Amino acid sequence: MNRSPAPPVHGSRRPVVRVLVEAAIVALAGVLLGFVGNTLSPRGLRLTRDYFPAASTVPPATSVAPVAPVTLVTPPTAPTTTNSPTPAEVSSPLPTSPSGTAFAELEQRLQARGLRLGLHEEVETLFRDPRHESEQIIFVDARKDERFAAGHIPGAYAFDHYYPEKYLPDLLPACQTAEWVIVYCTGGHCEDSEFAAVQLRDAGVPPEKLIVYGGGIDEWSARKLPVEIGQRRSGQLLPQAP
Amino acid sequence: MNPSLPAPAATSTDTRSNRPPGLSRGRLVDFIARVLVGGGYLYLGFVKVADPVGFLKAIRQYDLVQTPVLLNLIAVLLPWIEIACGTVLLLGCLVRGASLVSLAMLLPFSTLVLRRALQLQAAGALPFCAVRFDCGCGTGEIGICHKLLENGVLTLLSLWLLFRARPIGRADPPEASR
Repeated sequence: MNRSPAPPVHGSRRPVVRVLVEAAIVALAGVLLGFVGNTLSPRGLRLTRDYFPAASTVPPATSVAPVAPVTLVTPPTAPTTTNSPTPAEVSSPLPTSPSGTAFAELEQRLQARGLRLGLHEEVETLFRDPRHESEQIIFVDARKDERFAAGHIPGAYAFDHYYPEKYLPDLLPACQTAEWVIVYCTGGHCEDSEFAAVQLRDAGVPPEKLIVYGGGIDEWSARKLPVEIGQRRSGQLLPQAP
Repeated sequence: MNPSLPAPAATSTDTRSNRPPGLSRGRLVDFIARVLVGGGYLYLGFVKVADPVGFLKAIRQYDLVQTPVLLNLIAVLLPWIEIACGTVLLLGCLVRGASLVSLAMLLPFSTLVLRRALQLQAAGALPFCAVRFDCGCGTGEIGICHKLLENGVLTLLSLWLLFRARPIGRADPPEASR
């Protein structure tokens, strides 16, 4: 049989090399686009930043107060209102909530970071404390802006810790003057409150002031407590289901 | 996305001489594969670019790398490589190279997704297909069986484009030689 050879389909003698070169061009174009896009985007990431600081990070010494061991102690600045219980008083039995097991893991991680866990009863007590109105007790919402606007603990500061430059100028002075800073995120397995608290600690907020609310906004809402929508201090509360 | 390939428009007996140029079955399959794979990558790439932090968090769950810089680089570059890949596939240039890049992303990532799903299945004592999580694919929370099926179809289409796609603008080889 005298059959003429079929013509090469793609007209190349080295199709493998050609495919590899094409692939390299596509990948290189993506890499270049990635660097340019990340630089130009307001939501771009900082390549050298550690967005998830490890639990083994040693809490740095601050100029405000030494890092205390993670025990339920009274903060350096003593409460001024005599009738309101200190967080230490209300949080003594730790953790006793139904999801205590999950909180036990969280508590361990927080202890490794020089921080401590706050359970719902303590957090609600602090919310109702008159010092909350005078910003001696502040809440910090560590979720992204869209979630914050959709509903947050009334009066809470927004702090998307992935973009700290945007929030810290307003937030840090408030944290420095406050007696207690309660940081929360969604709750459950959300870690943003931990990372936000670590950032605040690293920015100079004494760790003794910092409480991470483990239940987060999910537990807060589930207990039908007031939820503010829109901007901070908007005064608009989310209607509660009957 | 319905990945099933279209049935041939006509039987082989009546189309060899009558098929209009540019509408051969092979070219139609090429076109559909390029649109599905390329369009999919473009969409999913832009979803990730719009929320880089969400993608960063999603890929962190796979414990791919321990170095923050590497993790950040993956989160920054991978969506744009998807966009580049999707763009050239839709344009019809560098098709086989883009298909290779597609496979280089799909195969390791599908393995990681499967491994993560097995971990979640074991942790929650769930049936495999009941496992749902945000795999970082740009589709939000999704069932694992759905995701693996989707990735399987994309892999098959990418393989087709890599080995069978015909260059655009070049005449089909004679039927007899195929």
